[in-house]
Parts: sequence; C-alpha cells; structure tokens
Amino acid sequence: MKRFISSALAHGLGWQLIGTLLGAGLITGIRALMGLSVTDRFFFTEPAWVLGGFIGAISFLFGSGVTSDWMKWARGIDTPEHHEDHHSGWEKYVNVSLDHKVIGIQYTIVALALISIGGLFALIFRTELAASQLQFLTTDMKLFGQNGPQLYNTLMSLHGMIMIVSILLGISGIINYVVPLLLGAQDMAFPRLNAFSFWIAVPGAVLLLSSLFLGGFDTGWTGYPPLSARAPVGMQMFFLGVFVAGWSSILGALNVIVTVLRMRAKGMTAMRMPIFVWAAIATSLIALTATQFIGLSFQLVMFQRLFGMGFFDPAKGGNPVLFQHLFWFYSHPAVYVFILPGLGVISELLPVFVRKPLFGYRWIAMSSLGIALVGFVVWAHHMFTSGMNEYLRVPFMYSTLLVAIPTGVKFFSWVATIWNGKITTPTPMLFVLGGIVVFLMGGLSGPPNAIVSTDLHLHDTYFIVGHFHDTIFGGFVFPFFAALYYWFPKATGRRMNETLGKLHFWLMTPAFFVLTFGMMYIGLLGMRRRIVDYDPALGIDSTHLVLTIAGYLIGLSVVIFIYNFFNSIKNGEKAEGNVWNSRSPEWQVPSPMPVHNYDQPFEVISEPYDYGLEGGSPYVKFSEPESGKHQ
Amino acid sequence: MSHTQTKSAAYGQGVVVFIYLAVLTALEYFVAVTFNAVSILVVVAVIKAALVMYYFMHIYKLNEASDGDEHSYDYKTGTNRIGLWLFLLSDAFVFAGLLTARINLLGLTRPHLNQTLGLAVTAVLLISSFFMNRGETAMAHGDRKGFMNNTLITFVLGLGFLLGVVLVEWRLAAEEGLTASFGNPAVGPMGAVFYMMTGMHAFHVLTGLIFLLVVWNNARKGVYSEEKHWGVEAAAVYWHFVDLVWIFFYPALYLIGKLVN
Amino acid sequence: MRHFVIVGILVIVMAVLTYVGLDAAGFATQMNPVAASAQAQTIDSMWHWEIIAMSFLFALIVAPMAYSLVVFRKRKGDNTDAQHIEGNTALEIGWTVGPLILVVVFAYMGAYSLGEIRRVDPEAVVIKVKAQQFSWTFEYPEYGVVSNELHLPANKQVLLKMESADVIHSFWVPEFRVKQDVVPGRVTEYRITPTLIGSYKVRCAELCGTSHAYMEGAIVVSEEADYDTWIAEQIAIAAAAQTPEGKGQLLTVSKGCVGCHSIDGSPLTGPTWFGLFGSDVKLADGSTITADEAFISQSILDPNATIVEGFPSPSVMPPYVLTEEEIANIIAYLKTLK
Repeated sequence: MKRFISSALAHGLGWQLIGTLLGAGLITGIRALMGLSVTDRFFFTEPAWVLGGFIGAISFLFGSGVTSDWMKWARGIDTPEHHEDHHSGWEKYVNVSLDHKVIGIQYTIVALALISIGGLFALIFRTELAASQLQFLTTDMKLFGQNGPQLYNTLMSLHGMIMIVSILLGISGIINYVVPLLLGAQDMAFPRLNAFSFWIAVPGAVLLLSSLFLGGFDTGWTGYPPLSARAPVGMQMFFLGVFVAGWSSILGALNVIVTVLRMRAKGMTAMRMPIFVWAAIATSLIALTATQFIGLSFQLVMFQRLFGMGFFDPAKGGNPVLFQHLFWFYSHPAVYVFILPGLGVISELLPVFVRKPLFGYRWIAMSSLGIALVGFVVWAHHMFTSGMNEYLRVPFMYSTLLVAIPTGVKFFSWVATIWNGKITTPTPMLFVLGGIVVFLMGGLSGPPNAIVSTDLHLHDTYFIVGHFHDTIFGGFVFPFFAALYYWFPKATGRRMNETLGKLHFWLMTPAFFVLTFGMMYIGLLGMRRRIVDYDPALGIDSTHLVLTIAGYLIGLSVVIFIYNFFNSIKNGEKAEGNVWNSRSPEWQVPSPMPVHNYDQPFEVISEPYDYGLEGGSPYVKFSEPESGKHQ
Repeated sequence: MSHTQTKSAAYGQGVVVFIYLAVLTALEYFVAVTFNAVSILVVVAVIKAALVMYYFMHIYKLNEASDGDEHSYDYKTGTNRIGLWLFLLSDAFVFAGLLTARINLLGLTRPHLNQTLGLAVTAVLLISSFFMNRGETAMAHGDRKGFMNNTLITFVLGLGFLLGVVLVEWRLAAEEGLTASFGNPAVGPMGAVFYMMTGMHAFHVLTGLIFLLVVWNNARKGVYSEEKHWGVEAAAVYWHFVDLVWIFFYPALYLIGKLVN
Repeated sequence: MRHFVIVGILVIVMAVLTYVGLDAAGFATQMNPVAASAQAQTIDSMWHWEIIAMSFLFALIVAPMAYSLVVFRKRKGDNTDAQHIEGNTALEIGWTVGPLILVVVFAYMGAYSLGEIRRVDPEAVVIKVKAQQFSWTFEYPEYGVVSNELHLPANKQVLLKMESADVIHSFWVPEFRVKQDVVPGRVTEYRITPTLIGSYKVRCAELCGTSHAYMEGAIVVSEEADYDTWIAEQIAIAAAAQTPEGKGQLLTVSKGCVGCHSIDGSPLTGPTWFGLFGSDVKLADGSTITADEAFISQSILDPNATIVEGFPSPSVMPPYVLTEEEIANIIAYLKTLK
C-alpha cells in the first residue's frame, strides 16, 4: 500500500483532485466577487466544474512526473537518453516508464479495465431490456441525481464512449508493444511523448467516468446539440474527458508514424515491413488528423453552454447539422482506427498458423491505406436522415460503397492464405478465424446502411447496433484477444492456459452471434436505438430475453479471460522460445523480451512471410556480438 | 551543419520574401475594398502560405537525408522535424474545422470589424515572422547575440499582436454589436465564430510566446550552437505556423464576403 | 482441382441455405413488419436484392474457410510448412474488379430506388407536424384542425412538413420504412403514400431526452371516405370549442401537453390530469398542496418550482410561455376532467 501511495499513478490522481478543487474554487471565487451564484445542484457551478476538470487533468500530468524531463529541457538541462526503471514487478506499471513495452502493457491493462466497466454498464441496461416495461430503472428510483430512465441513458451513452476509449487504448497497447519489436527499434521515436500519451488517457478516463456522478447525460455518445446543450453538467465532464483522451490518440499516432519512418532495421524496405506495421501506419494517419474534429466539435458545444455562443443553437442562427458534420468527420474514420490494427493482427497471425506466406502482401498493405483514405470521404452516410442537403446523399452513398472494395481484397486474400495451408488452431488462431467471420457479418450488414433507401428504414434502429457490434468485435475485440494470447509469452515468458482460452472462445463466439443477429432482427421489426423501454406490441420481448442471456454469457467469457490473463502471469506454463514457430524477429530471441529489446541489431534479408520456401533464408539476420563488449 | 547560403545571403533572402508577403497582403486588402473577389483572395492566401512554408518554415528540410547513425544529433533532428510537422498537420485540422464552421455559418458575409486595426495586427504578425526568420538564420550561423536580439523583437511584436487582438479588437468588436455583455460575449453565430477563431489563434500565439521565451532563455545560457539548435528551429517553425494560420484567418474574418451587421 | 469443384458446390449450397434461412425469418421475399406504403415496397425490393448479395458473399468467404479448416488441417507429426504461394496478381485484380462491378450495380440501384421514394406528387396532401419533448402534434392547415393523432387517406401522397420545438427528433413509422429527422430551426419534409389501411405508430428514432422511449403517436390510415368523415368531425369539434374549456383542450393538444399528461388517469411521463383540479397533491419534498389555479399556472410557467412525488427532479418538462388567457382556458378544461 505504501508503495502504491508513492507511485506516479497515486500522485497523479491526488494532484488531479487538488487541481480540480483549485480550478473550481478559482471560478467560484471570481463568481462570488462578481455577485453571481456560487453553488448549484452538484455543489460547484458548471463553469467551475469545467475549469476544475481541465486544471485537474493538467495537474495529473505534472503530478505524475511524466512531464519532468520536458520541464528540465525547458530550463536548458539535458537528461540521459534512457532511464532505467527503478521499479520492478507491478510497481513498474503504476509508475512512469519510458520503455515502450511497459507502456504497451500499461495501455492494455487500462483498456481491459475500461472494457470491464463498459461491459458492466452494458449488462446493467441489457438486464433492464430483458422485458418490456421498466424493471428496476424505474422513474421512482434515484441514483447520482438521476431517475431510472435518465440513468439508463447515461449508462448507455457512457458504454459507447468508454468502449471507444478502451479500444483506442487497446490498439495503442498492441501497437506500442509490437511495432518497435517488429521494426528492430530500441524504443519508439519519442519515448517521453509515448509515456505522456499513455498518462494523459488516465485523467481523461477519470473525467469521463465522473460524468456519471454529476447528473449524467442523456444524449448517447454522439452528444448531438441541442440536446447536449441542455443536458446536466455531466455532459461537460464527458466532453472534457473525450477531449483529453483524444490527445492520447493524436500524440500516440504521431509517435507511431515517426517511428516507422525513422527507426526501421537495415534492409526493411516498405514492402518488407511486417504487415501489421502497415495497419499501424494507416490507423495512425487517421487518428493523427481526424481526431481534432471530434475535439473541436465537443469544444464548440462546451463553449456554447458556457458562454452562450450560438454555434449550434438555431435560435441564435446556429446550425445543429453542422455539429453532425464535424462530429462524423472524425467519428466515421474512427471506426477504421479501431478495426485496421485488428485486421493487421489477423493478417500478421494467419501465415504463422497456416504455415504459408500471406497471400498478396502488397494488396493487403495497400488495402489498409485504401480503407483509411476512403474513410475520410464517407462521413455523411451517418446523416442520410439528418435533414442535410438532399443532393449530398447520393455521392456519400457511392463513396461508402467503395469501402467494400479494399475490404473485399482483405477477405479474399485471407481465404487464399488459408487455402491449402497446414492449419493448426491454438487459441490465437481461433480468435483470428472468429474475427474474420464476425467481421464478415459486420461488413455484409454494412451496405444496406450505405444505400440510402434501405438506410432510411435501418437508421437509428437495433439493426445498426447489431451491425457495428459485429464490425467492432470482428475488427477489434476478436483480434485483440488473439494478439493478447499470441504475444503474451513474449511479454511474460509464460503461456496463457489453453483450455481456458478455448473455453473463452467457444463461450463468447456463439453467444455473440446470437446477440448481434438478434439485434439486427429486432431492429428490422421496429426496435429503436437508445430506448429504455419498448412497446410490447412489437412482440420482441422473448428475443430481448435471449439477447440478455447472450450478453451475460459474453460477460462470463471475459471474466474467464481476465482470470486466465492474471493467473498465467505467475502460474502459466513456461514458454521462453519461439512458441508459435514464427519467422518474425521478436520470436528469434528468448522471452520475456530484454529491457532494451534486441542485444544485437538485425538486418532484414528476405520476405517476412516466406513459409514453406525450399532453401529459403530467415526473415532477419542478427549481427554477431562484438567481442569483449557483450551486452 | 553545412550551409547552402552565407549568412548575408540568407538575410537578403528573408528581406525579399518579406517584401513579397507585404505586397501580397496589400494586394489582398486592395482587392477586398474594391471588387472583393473571393477567388483572388483565396489564391493570394495560398501563395502567401506557400512562401511562408518554403522560405520561413523550410519544409524542404523534411526531405533532407540525415547522415550518421541513429544516435547522431543530425539524425535525431531529422526525426524531431518529422514529429513537429506531423503535430502541425494535426493542429491544422483544428483550424480547418473552424474555417469549415465559419463557411457553414456565415457563408459570404462577414462581421463589422475595424479594418485599420485588422491590417495593423496582420502587419505586426508578418513583421514578427520576418524577425523570427532572421533570428533562426543568425543561430544557424553561430551568431547567438543576433539570435537573441531578433527573437526579442519577435517576442515584443507577438505580444503586441496578442494584446491588439484580445484587448483592443475584442473590445471594439463588442462595441460593434458582436456581443451583449460579459458572461455572454457572443450572441448569434457571427460573434461566436469571431471570438472562437481569434481566441483559438490567440491561444496558439500565447503558447508560441512561451516557447520563444524558453529558447531565448536557453540561448542566454548558451545551450545552442551552430551545429545543435533544434530547439530554436522548432520554436521558429511553430511561430511561422501561427502566422500561417493567420494568413487564412485574416481574409476569412476581415476581407471575404459582404459586410453585415 | 477437386477441391475447387467441391468448394464451388459448397458455396452455392450455403448461399441458398443462408437465403432460405433469412427468408424463413421473414427478411427476404416477405419483409417484416408489413409494408404499408408505396415507398416501403420500393425499399423492400432493394432490401431483397441486398439479401441475395449478402447470402452469396457470406457463403463465398465462409464456405472455403470452413472447408480449409476441415481438409487442410496439419496432420499429426507433420512438421513441414505448407506450399509456398505468395500471391496471384490475376486473382487479386479479379477480386478487386468483381466487387467494383457489384458496387457500381448497387450504387445505380440505390440511386434509382431513392429516386422512386422521392417521387413528387404535386397534389400531395400537406400536413404540418410539430415534434416536442415528448409528443407529436399534427396540424391540417387546409381545415384548421389540430390533433395528436395522424389520420391519413390511403393511396394518396402525403407531404409532412415537420418542425421541432426543442431538440432533434426523428419521424419513423416502421411499416412505412422511411425515416426523417425533425430539426429545430428548419422544416424537413417527409413524403409518403400509405397503401395499407390500419393503425400504426410513429416512433421517435432520435434520442431526445428522458422519455424518448415513450415518444410515440398514433397513426390511422383509412379509406378516403373515412378520412373525410374524421376531418369533418374534427372541424365540428374545433367549431364547438369556442368555450374556454374547448379552447383549453385544443391548446393542450397543439402544445403537446397530452403527450405526457393523460386525461384518463393512466400513468405517463407526467402526472395525470384526471381529477387533478382541486385535489391534494403530494410533493417530492413531503408537503401537500392543493391543485388550485395558482399551482397549475406556476407548474406550466416554471415546471421546476414544485415537483410532484414520484416524478423526476429536475422536471423533464420544458417551461411553456403562455398568456394568462390561455392558462385560464387550460384550467377551465382541467376542471372538466373528473
């Protein structure tokens, strides 16, 4: 406990609390001097909470010490290039580390924590939906200043955004851990920025969750004004949390791009990079640029609430639809940010488990970039019914359908990779295969939403809910689990339990199919999105009950995973060699990975996925250790 | 570091580029007050931006092959440069978003603002960029004193711009009807757009000023040399970026479209 | 070669099975819920083509995958790698161009069906729709009739001109298929040609606040003769409503009050009005107040002033700006609800 209190995490959180109180107190004091009201429903007034939240987030960063090297630089003091970690064991992960592997694991742990919280929220409102009428989220109940339906709306909205943040952190975790290893780099290009990107996400997540206790908000994760301009003060905490967490994504993406451009091993030309690196590049290009738009759109609503600036207020000549354009300009490409790394994991792992080269490497690499670029010009397909200019609908339908082509290239190439291979199906491969099929269901249920006429029916129904859960599970959740099972031995030197892994898979996959297919089914019958209660006349009560049971089964499978994950760190079967018999460089050295990665630099001397080539050479060749200067 | 130009040639180039920029700004103003053709204003802004990006921000340096191994200062500077430009690219999206909002909400109309003041602050920022470039050139040739003097002038001009916008322009705009009272500074999208655009830009000017102070202080301590002065280059590029944004915001707020109030 | 033939057959079988399965669930030849407008038929036929393509593409990927997993498994004791095949440019071009053609075809069909849905009948009946938290109001400007039920004549195009009083709502009738957001500050249009006589519900499809789930309104599609009768009745009611009570009743419909306050004692988002006037009301703070003129007037102008026990605080009801006369009319109407 004492060691936790002295950790960067505890310091950061303590300073966040102090900073919040100071910022809020400052505004309260100014208001008192100006003769304005100083308290409100949630003690402080809204401007006080906003400035408090903002200063709190900044205080966290200074308090945790992640900025201390930069502060030294600003005073003209040089710092050593590498810091040795003074901590060991779990303490390494609650303190600031500049090691990309530690940061990758920190990201992953926080992502898993947020997934658990978001999943818990989902189970709460899934239980409420098990039958029509209000079950326990009734109008009489009261929690955190909200009655049942209001709490439902808050939980449902937070479920969306918490999952999004957890996905962003999850992909950052995998990318951070794996990309420098695949490139043969010692670390990311900017290790301090890397640590900063992770640590800024923590106060962001705290702010996001605090909205639940400050009256919540009832707008969905999209936060459309004018509704979001009227919601309780929790709305502002939500905006602020997303804004802060967004910087994690932006700066992390910047780091990835520079790392790939500048830190590749000798001989690693663009077409000889491991395919996952291509996916990381494509996803980072989007995250780097488009993320600013969601920050800006939320910032504008924040200012509209604080100062009465009428950007989206029709009474003041503003335009509510403008918000939707700004919002979706990020939030559509964002789903490609979520899925591209996952699809990269699928492409990266498939050859290992089918013992065959990746079919059409160049096509797969280019299809990632293709998806990323087309992703920038499809945003308005979320707005076919929004009342935007009618003539925009057809071009956006065309551009959206175009996404099918690079995505199709990926699917066909995967099938061709599997074809005629020598397939084994340990747990990571199961999740890869599951991911392909689930993502296929997501992909195929997409065009009906892209085609305007059918979307007019499907928009804002459970059909959409089913569709995007398929894409996100297929594109992120399944590959994420695959990656965790696959690289777990690299990080720990131990394997996760195979039986529990298979149980996890066989519990989650069928339950998930039932869940999303059922969602699409009731959506077509008339079940709207984001409703706390539904008309019993729709005749979908029994389906909802099945969906709730399926939801609990998924929750159970994740509990099994988390147990397996933490238990295997200490008790897993030892696995220090090339567990999966992979050609990839990180598996050519013993696990767990040494602190400064490869003791000897390597050179790329052939193609990454040349499995089954008679007399072929390995992918990388390590330099001979210099005599007398070993390690 | 190898020099492609002598110091005086580099200074001379800075003067020429500055004259071009000044003439283009005058042209912009002239076009706006006479026949107000949006297309010409856009073209002029793009040319100005290209000049700043090439001659002041040295975008071509991104393409320079950096010698030496991965641990050399040169190689790291090359890496840092890419990082900085990617950051600016990302930041540019914020301003692009604000411009989008401005176009959507105001269309071809513009608020009633003090033209003389607008031109004055624009000129001040442009001149500050000129001195920033001079300062960076000085440092690149090992002239620490020259760097410090020029940066100080840049800082004073930058501060002048910031105060001109926030203290004077905001108050004048308020008097022109863009606002009601404090606590409710923006009624209607025109005020909202004006205060948000100038406010976000002013915030970047402020961070730029802090950055200038930091490098000036470090130069005083002798941290930078002819070979190693990445901090100076970064501060300069960031300062020019702030100018670059204003190159688009100035016509967007002051020049384009029909006056309404 | 043998493998390709088997998989080819498997793909076809699986595609057919998928299609048949979806059809059995009611999502191919006969779409659920029932199609009740001309536009719905266009959308359903578009959907049908999409289902066919989806069934085929699903089988095209899953069948060869499943086949490989069974046939191309690694044998026990075999530690060699599989055949070294890096790719095939002709194939890659093929599965780029193939989907491209499919995309172009569907893009054309999509644009065509959108055109069909939006086909304008200049004779269309115009009805004004007003959406507010959490109710729908319909106005027939030709007849000066206001109602919270939408009555439509069958087989005639209707043009709804929709406005929102507060936040974004969305007009959706699942049986009509088409959906359109209702955005404050602008008028959005919704064209529909109901074809099937019956009762439906408009359901708000854009999250609009606490009681969004209950923002539903009744829709009745009837023969033109029945529709005309209904209109005549409404005109008669409006004409008779020159008394304060009548004016008050119309006001509670046009302002959307009855979306949340029932007049028959049934529980909705807000307290019922049945037997309200003159009764003792228990408040959330434990006190009791008599529902007199002052109380009702205050509750309309500032819903947050008093919160009735069992209802959320702060109130979800927006403040209404009404004249004294209007409020008096409403109170007169409330007095009749016993």
